[in-house]
Amino acid sequence: MTTGGDGSMARVRSSVTSTADRGRTTYVHRVSLPPGAVPVVRAGDAVSPGDALATRRVPGTAFRVPVARGLGRRPDSGIEHFLVRPGTRLESGEAIARDPQGREARTPRAAVFVSYRIRDGSALLIELGPDRPLVGHVRGGVVRATPQAVDIALPGVRLLGVGGIGEAVHGELMMAVHRHDEELRAGSVDVSAAGKILVGGSRASAETLTRARAMGAVGVVLGGVLDKELRDLEAIQRRRRDQGGLVNPFSIVLLEGYGKVALDPHLFEWLRQHQGRTASLFGSERALVVYDATEPPRRVPLARVGDRVVAHGRPHAGRTGVLVGLLEELHAGGSGIPGLTGLVRFEDGRLAPIPLANLEASVAGQPPVSDA
Amino acid sequence: MNLAPHAAAPTAEVSLLIDVGSAWTKATVVGRARGRWRIVANVAQPTAWGQAALDETLAARLAIGADQRLRDRLREILAVAPRIACRTPRRTGRLAIAAIAGEHSAAAARHAAEAAGWMVAVTSDPDDGRPLAERIAALSATDVDAWLLAAPGEIATPEQVLEEASIVAAARHARGGPVVWAGPHSLTEQLAGLFEEGALRAIAPAEIEDGGQASGPLRADLEHLLEQVVEGHEGRRASPTGFRRAITELARQEHLRIGGIDLGAHYATWVLADGREEPPMVAGAALASGGLGSIAFGSPQVAGRLAREMSGHVDELAVADALQNLRSRPGSIPNGEEELGVAMAAGRMQLASIAATPGWGSVDVLIGAGRLIAGAPSPARAMQLMLDGIRPVGIAQIALDRAGVLPPLGSVSDDEIAEAIGFLRDDLVVPLGTAIVSRGGRPGHVAFRVTLHRAGWPSIGPVEVRVGQVSVLPLARGEQAEVELQTDESVSLGAARRGRHVQAQVSGGSVGLVLDARDAPIQLPRRTDDRRSVQRAWHEALLAEPVPERSVSAL
Repeated sequence: MTTGGDGSMARVRSSVTSTADRGRTTYVHRVSLPPGAVPVVRAGDAVSPGDALATRRVPGTAFRVPVARGLGRRPDSGIEHFLVRPGTRLESGEAIARDPQGREARTPRAAVFVSYRIRDGSALLIELGPDRPLVGHVRGGVVRATPQAVDIALPGVRLLGVGGIGEAVHGELMMAVHRHDEELRAGSVDVSAAGKILVGGSRASAETLTRARAMGAVGVVLGGVLDKELRDLEAIQRRRRDQGGLVNPFSIVLLEGYGKVALDPHLFEWLRQHQGRTASLFGSERALVVYDATEPPRRVPLARVGDRVVAHGRPHAGRTGVLVGLLEELHAGGSGIPGLTGLVRFEDGRLAPIPLANLEASVAGQPPVSDA
Repeated sequence: MNLAPHAAAPTAEVSLLIDVGSAWTKATVVGRARGRWRIVANVAQPTAWGQAALDETLAARLAIGADQRLRDRLREILAVAPRIACRTPRRTGRLAIAAIAGEHSAAAARHAAEAAGWMVAVTSDPDDGRPLAERIAALSATDVDAWLLAAPGEIATPEQVLEEASIVAAARHARGGPVVWAGPHSLTEQLAGLFEEGALRAIAPAEIEDGGQASGPLRADLEHLLEQVVEGHEGRRASPTGFRRAITELARQEHLRIGGIDLGAHYATWVLADGREEPPMVAGAALASGGLGSIAFGSPQVAGRLAREMSGHVDELAVADALQNLRSRPGSIPNGEEELGVAMAAGRMQLASIAATPGWGSVDVLIGAGRLIAGAPSPARAMQLMLDGIRPVGIAQIALDRAGVLPPLGSVSDDEIAEAIGFLRDDLVVPLGTAIVSRGGRPGHVAFRVTLHRAGWPSIGPVEVRVGQVSVLPLARGEQAEVELQTDESVSLGAARRGRHVQAQVSGGSVGLVLDARDAPIQLPRRTDDRRSVQRAWHEALLAEPVPERSVSAL
C-alpha cells in the first residue's frame, strides 16, 4: 500500500498537491471522461458524492440514411457538400449534407456520423440515446473541466492498494471486524452495512462479498483476498448483468497483497479512527480516499534499522515488526536468491531474516484532528 | 570511447554503468586495473529505493576490495565518476489497431506493433463478429497514444477501407493522436480527408510472410512513432534498445549467431543477431507485456496451466495469488521455494512464447538477462530456466548478463559501441557452459552418445543420453573441449546434417556441459504424478554437482 503519489492506472491519474491544513491533505483526482461526454461542472464549482460531473449519450444501434437520394443525386456522382466528419454528433433533424440548391439530407434521430458508402449513397450513423449523467463519487472543488477529464481537488487522504475490482463508489467507512488480522465473515455483515464501505481484515470469501453487496454495502476494503474470490465475484456480477439483473455498483480494494494478508495494525487503527467519515473507493484504480482525514501511516520502500516494518511475501505477508539489524553479507533466504537482508523482530517476539526488498517501513502519521 | 572520469581522480579510474529497470536497478562499477577495464563491483536493488541508496550500497561493496587509502573517498569517487545510464521506459505506448481484410492482416499488424514495443490496447476488425456500434464503443473507450490502420496491398474493396477508417475517425474524434496508414497509397488522400490536417501518415502496406510476420517498413515506422509519441522511448537510451545494440555488436565482434533475452518485470526483449554477416542480420522485439508483470498472469486459466506445469505440488489458488503478488510488487524477491517455483514457471512461459515467435532460431550463444534469469538462486537454475523455456536446439553456449551491463553499454553512440563492448569483453557475460539440445527421437531409445575430450585430462564417455533424459558433464569455466556426438537417426540437432557423427568445440562454465534430449518443446507425461516425478528428476539432474567419469542424469 502506498499513500499519495502518482497513480499508474490509465483511467484515473491523481497527484498529491499539498499537505497543509493541520495535517489534512488535499490531492487532485482526475476523472477521465469517455468520448462524447459534456462536462456540466466548471472550474471553481464544489461537487459532492453523487453529483453529475458530465452527461453522455450512450451509442446504440447503427442505421443508414439515404443521402444521395435525399439530394436527388446518383450514389456514385460524389457528394461534395458534406457538413459532417466522422465522429460529428447530430441532433434529430440536423443536416448531414446540403447541395448548392439548398436541398439537405437529414438524420431522423440523434446520432454520430460514421461514414458514407458510395455503392448505395447512404450514410452510416450510430444512434445516440438520451443524456445520461456521469456521476462523480468524490467531494471537492473542480480545478479544471475539459471534454476529456474533470480534475477535482479532494480534501482527503488517498491510500493506494495493490489490487481491486469495481467502479467508483462512495459511502461512510464502517469497521466490520475487530482485529486487523481477522477474516471478514458473512455472519458479521448485516443490513447496517447498507450504503457503507466496509473495512475487513485479512480476507473475505466470495460468499461474504456477495452477502455484503446483497446487504447494500457499496464496497469493501481488505488487507488481502484470494485472487479466485475476486474472480468469482466478478463472474457473478457479469452473469447478473448479462441476464439483465440490476447490479448495484460495488467495489473492492485490497491494500496489502493477494492471499490471506492482514492489514497493518497501525493502518487498521487509523481506519478505525475514521469510522463514519465519508470515503470514495475506486476498485479498478485500487484506491481509497477518506475525506477530512489525518495523515495515515506512510509507507517507505527502503526500511532502515529501527523502523517499524511491514513484510511482504510468504510466509510473513502482512506481519509487522521492527527492523533490528542488517546482515553484513548478502543472505540467501528460502528461495536461495541472495539479497540484502534485514533481521525483523515481529510483534509476536519472533526474529526472522527477511530480504529488504520484501519490507516496507511504516511511518506513523499525525494524530487525529478534532472536528471541533 | 572515453571511459575516463571528467574530474581529477588519478588514483581510482572508475565509471558507472546503470540500467534503471521498472522494478530493479542494476549498477556496475568498472575500473581500470593494469591497463584493462574490469567490473569491480555491481549491485542490483529495487528501483524504488532511489539513487542515494544505490550509491551507498555500491560504495560499501567497493570498500570490500578497495585500497585502504581510498576507502574514505569511495562515495566521493563514485559521485564524480562518469555514468552511462539507460532506463526502461516508464510508460508503455498504447496502440489501437483497425485492420482490414482478413485475420492475417490483423495478426501481422499486431506482431509488428508488439515487436516495435507497443502494447496493443484494442483492436477492431470487420470480421471479428462484433456489431459496428460495439466496435466503435470499444475503440472509443480505450486510452491510446496512436492508431494504426492496416490493410494488405491487394485489398478487397476501397469502400471497406474507408468505412474502417471512418470508424477510427469517429472513435478518435476530439481525442487526437497520430494515425498510421499501412496500406495502398492510392487511398491515402481519401483517408487523409477523414482526419484533421497532418494527423495521418502513410507508409507502405505490411507484407505478410509465412508465419504471419509483417515485413517491410511497418515495424521500423512504428518504432519511430513510439519514440516520437511516448516519453522514455527515445532511441538508444531506452534499455530494450541498448540491449539489442549490445547483442548485435557482440555478435559482430565474435562472428557468431547470438541470441539474447532480457526478461524484465514488464518488458521482455529478445534479439537474434547473426554476426557471420556484415552488417549483422538482426531480428528481435521489445515486448511491452512480455515480462513477469504481464496482464496474462491475471488470468485464472494461466494460473491453472502454470500449476499443472510446476514440478512441485502448489495449489492453483496459491499460484494465482503468487502471480498477482508478483505483478503488484515486482521489486520483491520470491521468498521460499514455492514462490520461486511460480516465478520460474511464469518466466518459462514467457520464454517459450518468445521461442515460438517466427524469426527465432538456432544460436551459437544464448545470453539471458533480467532479474529472474540473471538473479536466479544458482547458475544451474538459470540454465534450467533458459533450457526449459527456449529449447535452443543444437549446440549452444549459454551465458548470463549477470551484472546487467549490456543495456547501458549498448546505449553509447554508434562510434563508441565497438570500443565499449571490446573493453569489457572478458567480463561482459558469465558463461554457464554449453548445452546440447536435441529434438525428436524414439521414446526410451538412445538419442545421442557423447564423448568429451579435454586437453590434459582423460576423456569422458561415451555417455549415452536417452530420449527424455538430461545429463550434466563437468566442464569448468575457461575450459575448452572437443565433443564427439553420435546421434540417432530419429533425432535432430537443428541444422540439416549429412551424417550422424558430429564433432564440435565446446566451452565450459559454472554449470558444465548439459546433454539434453528432452525434445523441443519438452514432452511431459499426462499423468500428474508421472509428470512431477519426471520434472523432479530433471531438476535434480541439472542442479546436482557433476562428477567426472559419472554423469549425473535422469530420465
